[in-house]
Amino acid sequence: MNLNKLTSAMAIASFATLATFSTQTISAPIYADFPVTVKDYQGDKKTSVSYGGQIARHVLHNSLKKLAGQGNGAANPELLAKMQSYFANKDANRAILDPVSKEGFTVSETDVDQLSKAKNLAGKAYKGAVNGWPGNMTAAEVLAFMVEKASAADAGFDFNNGMDYPQLISKFTMGAVFYNQAVDSYLDEKLAGDVKPNDQPYKKGAPYTGKEHVWDEAFGYFGTPANTLDLDAATAHAIAKGKKEALTAADRNANGKIDLATEMTYAHAYYAASTDKGGKTNYLQTITKAFIDGRQLITDAKGEKLSDAQRSQLLGHADIIKTNWELVIAEATFKYAGSVYSDALKLQAGIEKNQDVKALFKKYIHHWGELKGFSMSLQTSGKDLGGVAVSLNRLIGYSPVLLGNTQVTGIDAKGNYQQSSSVDLNEFALQMLKVQQLLADNFALKARAKDQLANLSALAAKLGSGKNTEND
Amino acid sequence: MTSFISEYWSDLSELFSNSQQRLYFGYLLCALIIAFFWLIKSGENVKGSLAKAAGMRQWLCRSALADYQLIIINKAVFLLLIPLLVTKLSIATAMFELMHQGFSQRSSIDNELPSWLIISAFTLCIFLLDDLARFYLHKLMHEIPWLWEFHKTHHSATAMTPLTVLRTHPVEGLIFALRSAFVQGLCIAVFIYFFADKVDLYTVLEVNVLVFAFNVAGANLRHSHVPIYYWRWLETIIISPAQHQIHHSIQPRHFNKNYGAILAIWDKFCDSHCYSEPQHALQFGLNRKQLRSEHHLYSLYFAAFANIYASCKRYFQRASR
Repeated sequence: MNLNKLTSAMAIASFATLATFSTQTISAPIYADFPVTVKDYQGDKKTSVSYGGQIARHVLHNSLKKLAGQGNGAANPELLAKMQSYFANKDANRAILDPVSKEGFTVSETDVDQLSKAKNLAGKAYKGAVNGWPGNMTAAEVLAFMVEKASAADAGFDFNNGMDYPQLISKFTMGAVFYNQAVDSYLDEKLAGDVKPNDQPYKKGAPYTGKEHVWDEAFGYFGTPANTLDLDAATAHAIAKGKKEALTAADRNANGKIDLATEMTYAHAYYAASTDKGGKTNYLQTITKAFIDGRQLITDAKGEKLSDAQRSQLLGHADIIKTNWELVIAEATFKYAGSVYSDALKLQAGIEKNQDVKALFKKYIHHWGELKGFSMSLQTSGKDLGGVAVSLNRLIGYSPVLLGNTQVTGIDAKGNYQQSSSVDLNEFALQMLKVQQLLADNFALKARAKDQLANLSALAAKLGSGKNTEND
Repeated sequence: MTSFISEYWSDLSELFSNSQQRLYFGYLLCALIIAFFWLIKSGENVKGSLAKAAGMRQWLCRSALADYQLIIINKAVFLLLIPLLVTKLSIATAMFELMHQGFSQRSSIDNELPSWLIISAFTLCIFLLDDLARFYLHKLMHEIPWLWEFHKTHHSATAMTPLTVLRTHPVEGLIFALRSAFVQGLCIAVFIYFFADKVDLYTVLEVNVLVFAFNVAGANLRHSHVPIYYWRWLETIIISPAQHQIHHSIQPRHFNKNYGAILAIWDKFCDSHCYSEPQHALQFGLNRKQLRSEHHLYSLYFAAFANIYASCKRYFQRASR
């Protein structure tokens, strides 16, 4: 009997060990639980990972987008004040308007302060001049201008000037705040040896070193779940959409809720997943893996200053992140240029047939807003895109071509748009082709969604190489 | 250098392994079988039919050896030149973009026609346009004196094998490549502009189904000594191997006849059509007095330039008098 018990116990123990081992071997690394390495740390924190401030800004951005679509077509000081609260102020007790719980998909936090207190978006926006928008403004000024316009727009739309503010605000915020902060600050100057060194806490009493927190903040701005390497692109995408079938995969701590700090997909991580779903790219996993590898490298330094070799390796991981992040934005710009191309031609055809084009026009404005926001974001990395940026801005314009063949060309002293005559819709569609060509020529794009020139190259390839010189 | 050699070898072997090439082994086999049964039907015995169908007497003659040398050298020349040439894709893209400024009716016909009709139309259109362009360029190669100097390289073949199809002066080869790029680029641009992603090509073994049919039906016998001819009504529509052999004949009455590549209708329209003459044995080449030296590499590559230079010199001398 005792022997039987002993045998059974051994079998169970072996099985449990095996199960644990197999779980460990198949589980991919996550961006969490890196230990505290700060020398002489006196606090009670068990992990040095912290990027709550960045996630707070993600929910501020999501919420601001939600508000931007709530205008009633007239001046609305109350809505404007609320939008300002999420954009520029650091008010306490701001409710999270998005993401919120829905049936089968419960989120843990309902208030921005639960993630981090006294955060805003305006303070972290790109400080350079935004050449893609009229008025020679900084990114914060451009966004403030858009916020004001959105508060008086018709559910976010200004049909007279071809603006979809929720799209413009959202897409440009992602670039001007998240992308800029990550690639132009945290993964750039803050990786210098003497800035935020690894042998000192980020600030007095903090459980993380300078470099640990710099790296975490960049990761937070990317906006991907901590367990991304365990998720496929479709699941990461579905999490952002709040789909209940994604809950189990997303709920890493199995508490039945989505923890907005570590289990939600935001911003460019969502667009990386969206692009990767097509199967031609792997941006989400590539970027996340580089973040995790970089974080592990910093942790392995055990609170000592990074050596030149370690820093050089870290810069290599940063370079992977920056390159792929830029591609994510370029792929989205390429995609929406393709959408605007199709919309412009359909709109032109609809007008020629005297059809009701209101819905088409709305879709066209919507896609142009996304295109414009992404193309402006592409220019906020701190890297000078030179002639590419100039061409992008000229081809895309300050507004889409409107139905009377006019386009926004400036802003007057009172902040009103000024319009001038422009090319027609057909030529504007051609400009969208040139945008796609420009992006394809200057960025190593792989997904190329809605590629309007792909049909040409596919057919040309089908007709053969043209190497033969057959003579009859 | 290693990559050049590897690409060169790959290009050379593709001549026989790629179904998009006239000399694809499958097409050569089809030609051999067709020729064999044709000769059997003409009263030849099996051994004789096989030898003639395979062109056993031609493969090692001076003319055929010159073909091989040209093929080997031209492949290297083209490997260097092709990347410098304008491609059908760049022409298609430029045309496609230009059409946005010239037309505005794109979407009005889009989505109204069934896919099979659009694909059939593209397959037929590219076949017809390509064949017409080949016909017309071929006609120009014969009629314009300086072009003829280059085309003479091809016509200097006194014995014909399927490989004679590649007996081409590099300048002529470049002109052919540009012709192909322009015609195909234009056709692609027009169809994609009006029908977008509904456009496709009906293919067999990755080749336009109509070109495939032509190749399987013994296209390689055009450059052979097997005078396969068709019914007269069919020779009015399609060039038979015997008709193309007439094009290579040294008989003055055959000069400037049958320029067509696949279709005979273009020749019919342009009064250059000639039916096959099964009762007459043909002799191939430039003329009766053709010298063996015309198969030398120097002649094949440089005689054209020398003759053009001499003609220009004569012209300017006459003009200055």
